[in-house]
Amino acid sequence: MRFVPRILLVLTLAASQTAFGHAVVTHNSLKLKPVPVNQASQVELSFNSKVELDLSEVFLVSAGDVMKPVAASPGAKPGQVLLDLPALAPGEYAIKLKIFAADGHLSEDLLRFFVKEPK
Amino acid sequence: MEGIANYLDSLIGGVDLTFYSIAIGGLLWGLFVLRPWDENANYNSALLEKTVNLIHFGSKALVITQLSKIGLKIWLMAVTLGKSPFPAFFNTVQFNAGLARATFAFALFLFIKQALKANLRSKTHWLVATAIVVPLVMAAAWLVHGASRLEDRGLLMALTVSHQIAAAAWVGGIFQILALWGLKKQNAIAEELWPLLLKRFSALGIVAVALLLVTGTPLAWYYIRTFQGFIGAGYGNLLMVKIMMMGLALGFAWINRQAVEEYFASRSLYALTARVPYYIEAETLILLTILFTAASLASQPPSVDIPHLTATWEEVLNMFHPRIPRWESPTHEALIAGEAGRVAIVGQVPSEAATAWSDYNHNISGIFLTVMSFFAMLSYSERFHRWARYWPVGFMGLGIFLFFRSDAESWPLGPIGFWDSTFNNGEILQHRIATFLVFMLGLYETRARVKADPGILPYLFPLMSAFGGMMLLAHSHVGFEAKTAFLIQVGHTLMGVFALILACGRWLELKLDAPGKNVAGFISVFALFQIGVILMFYREPLY
Repeated sequence: MRFVPRILLVLTLAASQTAFGHAVVTHNSLKLKPVPVNQASQVELSFNSKVELDLSEVFLVSAGDVMKPVAASPGAKPGQVLLDLPALAPGEYAIKLKIFAADGHLSEDLLRFFVKEPK
Repeated sequence: MEGIANYLDSLIGGVDLTFYSIAIGGLLWGLFVLRPWDENANYNSALLEKTVNLIHFGSKALVITQLSKIGLKIWLMAVTLGKSPFPAFFNTVQFNAGLARATFAFALFLFIKQALKANLRSKTHWLVATAIVVPLVMAAAWLVHGASRLEDRGLLMALTVSHQIAAAAWVGGIFQILALWGLKKQNAIAEELWPLLLKRFSALGIVAVALLLVTGTPLAWYYIRTFQGFIGAGYGNLLMVKIMMMGLALGFAWINRQAVEEYFASRSLYALTARVPYYIEAETLILLTILFTAASLASQPPSVDIPHLTATWEEVLNMFHPRIPRWESPTHEALIAGEAGRVAIVGQVPSEAATAWSDYNHNISGIFLTVMSFFAMLSYSERFHRWARYWPVGFMGLGIFLFFRSDAESWPLGPIGFWDSTFNNGEILQHRIATFLVFMLGLYETRARVKADPGILPYLFPLMSAFGGMMLLAHSHVGFEAKTAFLIQVGHTLMGVFALILACGRWLELKLDAPGKNVAGFISVFALFQIGVILMFYREPLY
């Protein structure tokens, strides 16, 4: 449980939590350009630092926390990454990122989003 | 294994900075404080050998730490990504700069071993050693936060490296002073050297502090920018903790400087021998904790990058708001039932039972500590001392409480067996070790306070407290819910500071004479009381 590290460390002991590295997504295209229904699409992410894509992984998470790898490629600008999403049915999804920043920090991030039928 | 790899990866940054300081700061001590080539100085071989041996040790440890950092990074990537990071890792800046840093540290190690040790008084040899350090320091620039930035990279790298050098001068100098005190206690150096070198170091210390401020202020401005970023995000919060601890360290430095000035006015060695060495020991604990906090800071996203994830000052204050502690725990069944939804990525359902379970654990632990600190305060009264000195027994009770409550999914409450959960889950293993240590700490500290001649037993408690505070500040919370994680972190970083005060106070209580020892002891248990209060009022954000 999350409780122990916070208590026991104070009492002179060590316990573990995942480190929160510093490569974070500062902008993503999901809000401005929603993922279309049943159609392959591309998501644009901007990081606050340079990232090593060869040492990073991106997953699409769907209902039941089923994870599928997603192809990621560098964008035109530094720190920009493009993700190729497959055609998705309406529902809730997430993009799970394991990113190795150029300063050596391996960090994880999560972007939740919905695929909705156009009104 | 990922949890262990990640945790070690976050810890090794502080270890690395410590050995860097011992090596680089030791050389600066030699160049600007000791100046071994000075013909008028009354240095003997014992002093010069001790000085160089410490730098030698620092360089050797730096090589090992740097290589371990690379190894840990590889391990971390392998367990996190579930595949080999090769050959891509060979092309990273991390690998190349890390290897270069290890190589130059090894060059320093070899030079000290082969040349400097045989020419302790040679200015040329000291300068060559310093020249070897220059590329080592430059290689480090590619391993800092600024190296990965998209803008103003060179400026940020230069400022950070200068900041590190200033810190190294202070910390490395303190280690040299501790070594000097060791020689002084053995009467292995001339009597006048102790005050003389303390005075010289004082001047270097002032320059180091000035450089820390000159380089740290623009860095803080660049990475934080707003008041909300300072108080409402992990980066700003850890910086605030660093500033608080630096204030404590400067307080000790100021007291020591006053004592040195008094010596040169009165020629009385009393304060310089009966108090200053112990203040320096406490200052060392604080400085080491600052280094671990600095390493943790480097793994935080700068506040300026996450304005949408920062908490307001009202939300931060609310984490410390007094309230009635939670006396009733949800049932184990309710807790387990909510776990699947709580940890789900898609379709996440916050678990009220999990939050209440955690609140109960925190609050009851807070009551344990608050009651213990109350009895600890009473133990300073002659009237109550006889029985109140048994207050550390509370740690044993707390250990038993934590054993039952901390890993609810495993034995004795959950379905996973004791051995299975202990050895197949890194986090549970650490919890079990931690719980055992809390229990043992209670046992040892009780013995230390009750036995007529406890030997070195009493020193275990402050050292473990300092270690605990350091660990608390050296690891940060995660993850996907950054704002929630920060609100949890803000409480435990403050507890980390109090753990450090607890440690320093107890250390000084053991070392100083009256009345200073009683004041220090009381401050120590008051810090324990503060930790208890924070835990007692703790409410975990629902997520």
